[in-house]
Amino acid sequence: MWLGAAATAALTVALLSVRPAHAAIHHAALVIQHSSGSLITRCVAFAEEQITGLQLIERSGMQWEAQDFGSIGSAICQLDREPSTVPPGCFGSGPYWQYFHRQGGGWQNSALGASSSTLHDGDMDGWHFAAGAKQAPSNVAFAAVCAPPPAPTVTLVATATYQPTPAHTATAPGQTASIATPSPGTQALAPSVSPPAATALAATGPPTRPPPGSLGPWLLLGGAVVVLTGLGAFNLWRRRS
Amino acid sequence: MIRHPLAWSAWATAALAAAFIDRNPFLQVLLLLIVINVSIPYRGGRRIRNWRIGLALAVVPIIFSVALSRFGSHVLFTLPAIPIIGGRWTLEAAVFGASTGAALLLTVAIFGVVQITLRSAELLAILPRPFYRAGTTVALALAFAPKTVASLHSIREARQLRGQRSGWRSAPQLLLPLLLTTLEQALQYGESLDARGFGSRRRSRYRPVPWSIPDVVVSVAALLAVVAIVVIPPPPYNPYANLLPSAPTVDNLLSVLLLAIPAVITSFSRRDHATHHA
Repeated sequence: MWLGAAATAALTVALLSVRPAHAAIHHAALVIQHSSGSLITRCVAFAEEQITGLQLIERSGMQWEAQDFGSIGSAICQLDREPSTVPPGCFGSGPYWQYFHRQGGGWQNSALGASSSTLHDGDMDGWHFAAGAKQAPSNVAFAAVCAPPPAPTVTLVATATYQPTPAHTATAPGQTASIATPSPGTQALAPSVSPPAATALAATGPPTRPPPGSLGPWLLLGGAVVVLTGLGAFNLWRRRS
Repeated sequence: MIRHPLAWSAWATAALAAAFIDRNPFLQVLLLLIVINVSIPYRGGRRIRNWRIGLALAVVPIIFSVALSRFGSHVLFTLPAIPIIGGRWTLEAAVFGASTGAALLLTVAIFGVVQITLRSAELLAILPRPFYRAGTTVALALAFAPKTVASLHSIREARQLRGQRSGWRSAPQLLLPLLLTTLEQALQYGESLDARGFGSRRRSRYRPVPWSIPDVVVSVAALLAVVAIVVIPPPPYNPYANLLPSAPTVDNLLSVLLLAIPAVITSFSRRDHATHHA
């Protein structure tokens, strides 16, 4: 009994110490590693307290196909045109898109699908198209994707860390110099690596503030708890007398 | 006063549906408060013994979840690489275990209420004809289990009075008299069933339970609650994805509050009825 009470108290304290909500522009990073090894990184700004992993991909403007797996969330079957067609059963039999979260200095395999996992300010998601279990993408620091002082007026900063094909001249404002030269195969597979920021904004809309929570449910809950406690005390008193 | 076994069955079904479907901690706390309130007026002679089991059931999932699950971003502490339990112990895993434990605690509490408000004989009387034989057998078996435990205790006491040890080694000396006593009791049960005409074609109904207005009110409210709980499911709460639970919606709160009607009715009825079931 004391163990239960102690556990309850510890959980209450821990729950109360979770960081409070505050309104600001948040940033989350997205790292995509193709089977060829080429890295694509994106920094996504959002006004909400948190977004899902799928929203991160959506707002980055990358092409994707997903399949819903119920409460676990949706799996990504095709990302940035790799593989060229969606395999049967989403995963196929060979390599598939593996999902990771950045924790501490490393990648941790995600327990949930992209639509169920959440990202807060400063979080980073990694996707790696590889065969075999737990093939983490290359190590990328959050600061390398999202520049430390984010420009307040830019709501979506797209950065590509490799040079796109000449046919697709990039117009993203945050474009950085190339690090790795991609193989032609990757370029053929991934023709839409850097969409213009304006297109991405038009598709997803500017980040909006979440609606403020209403007071009604809390009043009802509080009133019910007070009435029920009073009723219980009254019944106990009536049994005693 | 709620007397009809069908009304209690409907209430218990609705409460179990709420306990299994709602994983929102606010709704769980509210439901626990409701179940305690419903049970208070009926807690006359029979003592509730299984609250310790309920608490143990609530704590065990926390321990299992926090020790075995490695998911979540709020790390409590990191254990060295011990097999199975080594690694990062996360707050998310503890909260998920607590959520499961609360559902188990609620289940035990609801069955505790059913145990003190429903008599197996009354439940048996309303069973439809095809289930009557099977129901009688189950009711007899349920009545038999505590008697067997009681006779085991008396045999052990008798051995202790004679100065014999009662550890694990004395199990064969305990089991043989227990078997004989149980067989004797079973024969007595059979004879009494025979004397009451069990097994003949006709089935008489002794003192049928009438439907009172509170019974009808509670049954209708329970049916409404079941429909509301199933049709308007609460927003999914997954501690691994989102540690802080969202506020319960007014619809969910109202559907759970429908289950508090037995507590309100019994609070405003006269007291001499309240001791009827005790």
